[in-house]
Amino acid sequence: MYAFVWRQLPGPWPAKLILSLVLFAVIVYALFMWIFPWAEETLGITQVTVD
Amino acid sequence: MFVGFIGELLLTAGVIVLLFVVYLLWGTGLQTASAQDDLREQLDFDQEQSDGDSSSSLQDLELGDAYGIIRIPRFGDDWEWVIVEGVEDDDLRNGPGHYPDSADPGELGNFGVAAHRAGHGEPFADFPELHVGDIVEVETAEGVFTYRLDDAPDGDSDGNKINISDTWVVDPVPGEPSSTEPDEARVTLTTCWPRLGSSHRMYATGTLIDVEER
Repeated sequence: MYAFVWRQLPGPWPAKLILSLVLFAVIVYALFMWIFPWAEETLGITQVTVD
Repeated sequence: MFVGFIGELLLTAGVIVLLFVVYLLWGTGLQTASAQDDLREQLDFDQEQSDGDSSSSLQDLELGDAYGIIRIPRFGDDWEWVIVEGVEDDDLRNGPGHYPDSADPGELGNFGVAAHRAGHGEPFADFPELHVGDIVEVETAEGVFTYRLDDAPDGDSDGNKINISDTWVVDPVPGEPSSTEPDEARVTLTTCWPRLGSSHRMYATGTLIDVEER
């Protein structure tokens, strides 16, 4: 999977390295901004009220 | 080749779960800290000069507004949080929340507050350490209200564990039908049990012992 992505990235290896780091950063950002907050709410694992 | 692909997927899943834990325990706290700064600016009663216009009545607050300040010396001398009005997820991610249907501080009835014990700044991280006799101080636009706990976990990590549906703890008179007319002013705090989950809840409660009107 990762080898496949590496082959798809254009340019010489330093460009590939920078591109893959950027890709990684974008994915982590999306996880923290949208996916994890959604998961926390959906899983309901941090409830503190009686109802 | 195929096995390598599965291995990569599993590794990726593991890393994502780890990142999720990092998010819950630390990432959520960043948002809470910045929300607390904004909420503190909404509270105008800490400023020396009063403009005489008491428009910030507790009854006029909307969900998510800054409500007051809570201090619990058991959690540390500098432990101080801005309470928000409301106990929905969106309110509690910003700080401890006031059950909107519960009494205001000093009123006859039960002033209910919920807060996170893990993540979101974990205001109630040390909740089981609350003991009978501990002080809970609440400051609002109306004054400073001091409560003393008469029922608390007392250092037992399973102390005062209740079910999610045990709403009686925030009733006007805990343990009595919710229509019972209250004859004392109480405070009740709720949080999750276990700390890193929420299959149950924990509570602590106490009575008003001192009021300093503003």
